Amino acid sequence: MTGNEALALGALHAGVKVVTGYPGTPSTGALASLLDREPRGVHVEWSTNEKVALEVAAGAAWAGQRALCTMKMSGLNVAYDSLISIAYSGVIGGLVIYVADDPGVSAGMAEQDSRGFALMSDLPMIDPATVADAYTLTRSAFDLSEQIGSPVFVRLVTANASSFGIVDVDDEPPVYPQREPQLIRDINKFTKAGSAICLAQHRDLIARLEKADAWLRAAKINRLELGRQNGLGIIAAGVVNAYLMEGFEIAARYGFDPAAVSVLSIYGVHPFPAQEARALLGHCSSILVLEELEPQLERQLYVEAQRARYTGEIHGKLSGLFERVGEYTVRHVVQGLDRALNLSIPSDLFTGDTAAEALAAARPITVCAGCPHRGTFMAINQAVRRAGFKKDEVMVTGDIGCTILGMNPPFNTVWNEVSMGASIPLAQGYVHAGVQTPVIATIGDSTFYHAGLAGLVNAVQHQVPLTLIIMDNGWTSMTGMQVNPGTAESAQQTGNRRLDIARIVPALGVDQFWEVDPFDFDATAATIQQALKLPGVKVILARQECAIPARRRGEDAGEARIVAENCNNCKLCIAVTGCLALSVGDGKVIIEPELCYGCGLCAAACQRDAIEFERRA
Amino acid sequence: MPPSTFDIYFVGVGGQGVLTIGEIITEAAFARGLPVNFYPTKGMAQRGGFVKAQLRMGRSTSGPSIPEKGADLVIATEVSESVKALRFLKTDGDFVLYGHVWEPAAVMLGKAPYPAVDAVQAAIRGSGARLHYIDPASLPQFGGVTVPDNVYTLGVALAATRLRDWIDAPTVEQVIQTRWQRGIERNLFALRAGMQCVEMPVG
Repeated sequence: MTGNEALALGALHAGVKVVTGYPGTPSTGALASLLDREPRGVHVEWSTNEKVALEVAAGAAWAGQRALCTMKMSGLNVAYDSLISIAYSGVIGGLVIYVADDPGVSAGMAEQDSRGFALMSDLPMIDPATVADAYTLTRSAFDLSEQIGSPVFVRLVTANASSFGIVDVDDEPPVYPQREPQLIRDINKFTKAGSAICLAQHRDLIARLEKADAWLRAAKINRLELGRQNGLGIIAAGVVNAYLMEGFEIAARYGFDPAAVSVLSIYGVHPFPAQEARALLGHCSSILVLEELEPQLERQLYVEAQRARYTGEIHGKLSGLFERVGEYTVRHVVQGLDRALNLSIPSDLFTGDTAAEALAAARPITVCAGCPHRGTFMAINQAVRRAGFKKDEVMVTGDIGCTILGMNPPFNTVWNEVSMGASIPLAQGYVHAGVQTPVIATIGDSTFYHAGLAGLVNAVQHQVPLTLIIMDNGWTSMTGMQVNPGTAESAQQTGNRRLDIARIVPALGVDQFWEVDPFDFDATAATIQQALKLPGVKVILARQECAIPARRRGEDAGEARIVAENCNNCKLCIAVTGCLALSVGDGKVIIEPELCYGCGLCAAACQRDAIEFERRA
Repeated sequence: MPPSTFDIYFVGVGGQGVLTIGEIITEAAFARGLPVNFYPTKGMAQRGGFVKAQLRMGRSTSGPSIPEKGADLVIATEVSESVKALRFLKTDGDFVLYGHVWEPAAVMLGKAPYPAVDAVQAAIRGSGARLHYIDPASLPQFGGVTVPDNVYTLGVALAATRLRDWIDAPTVEQVIQTRWQRGIERNLFALRAGMQCVEMPVG
């Protein structure tokens, strides 16, 4: 199973009752695996956004149940407002917040080190090394949370969240008896009314963190193994621990003696295990700190070193040995040992042959074959042109999700990307800045529900002239097909209700509202062109289901065929659509039937009637 | 003494089934009781983008990523993307290249270059790797349709490289039989054909 699945199973085997989250690579698989399992008596939901998810989970924990909330690092930023309040109040039932970081950025966004949030919120954080750890330490995290009455973070990184590993699963996990929900009225704990309450809660928060320190030590979550006196001490955080043995084996070929080093393996990254660190400092003549991203543990080690009047060297990021960017591998372990112990390990040991990479063709990611967003991007480009503007005269703000792929060729439609829902307020800023040409905002359906509504409300209240295009494909697609409030009811959990953007937008006071089918290129382009000329807030709902779930159901939108006698192989269809189902074989443009969904947009792009298209009803 | 660990680096394009090869090997290793960690990186849901994966066998605790010059075997399923794996291969490692060409749109339009298959092969050989090149045109048919190329490629890797010291054909066949409900026969045929093409080189 994956680290995500192991974490989710750990929560299940810790008696979790409520699980909430919002999809975000690399965290998605955790909650998704619980939805697949449909555990009895456990409420599992994709919430509207991470803040909502955390609030739902906190409510359950305040009522005495165990709850899990899952998100990627960007989502933690969204949830953070509520997180601080919940941290100050503490919890009754165990509340574990799973956040996934992405050192090396394999999924886009940022190398945000969420361990910093644990520091800022004074909440304990567990940082497992392996897939197997994700299972056991998540169970521990629930116990810790309930013992000290505080939310607890479990943090994975892409490498262990996405990895498939072998987990020794408890065949007979302890049976947690059903808990009756509690209704606790305690305004001193559950409100923030007045400084007396807040200061007392701050003291409680700090006291809980101290309790966490004692709990982590008693449970031996962090492991200190002392080697030879006055040897090297190593501090390794989270996933980096998984590379230690491999690094030791490699370094041993160059005279390194593994028995000579002392190792502090840190899985409870917050609170910092100061006592163990002091023991390490007292035992070792120099220290090597191995942690990805920010030098968080290293900085805290310097504090302990100062207190202990430590005179040895500390090797890490602050000494200039490692940078704060990218994923760690065994290379960092070996380089660190080499620097700390002067092992004379060849510097090219991990320097592979990169010369050939210059041969590789650029492969910008684009939308899938059959993606309805293709039609919207093509239509925006056409509408801008027909309205008499050049492409670089019309701002098109972008948003998170598949809709951002409009930034890439062949569309080059979308200009920017900030965070969930930001496209709509950003567009307003451009208007207020005095931009005289039309301003367009683009957003997907799930993103609109997540954080787009407030931005649209702001635009309506202030009557900002802009054109918002909501690209509604019915799914949260970029993260691999999760349901959102607008997903068809047949795909929702039993008893859930679908919301309809087509009813929400007019209800917000948007007078100019159109619904279009992005596979109908001409109508979509004409509608956008019309909207660009009108004053006020204009909203176009470009609605067509994502091709991936439709194809999984065995459905096609239509059928497109090349009409050989009309085709002169001008490749305009490829240039305009960039569709993966179009290719050139034996000098002729062909449509690969296995890839083609039958959206017909290539037929719309063709100027020579060389693509015959038949739409299915 | 045979090495106690075996690392495989995979590259390809989303939709080619390169991750499926890794999953089959992972399941086979698991079935044989070998410690294994499989780390696929596909980024986003779209097909047609660069995909990589890292598989590590033999370590009780395994860091997911393979360092440069660390992999015993590379399995690449697309010509242009294959060169990105070269830095991760040990100097004398095995490089299985399925010679599929998946041209990005800019290449089809003549606006961007795409490497010649010969140049890529030369670069791989030049780095000291043992190249096992699979010509897509050489794939046999099963029931009138070309066999699944990813499983065929796995068959080649299994017969031609030290992967055979770690997992065996019967276990892989078992995995294939439990993995799919349909198309088991054609996948088994593809695996065997891939293995046979190594044992009986043409010419």
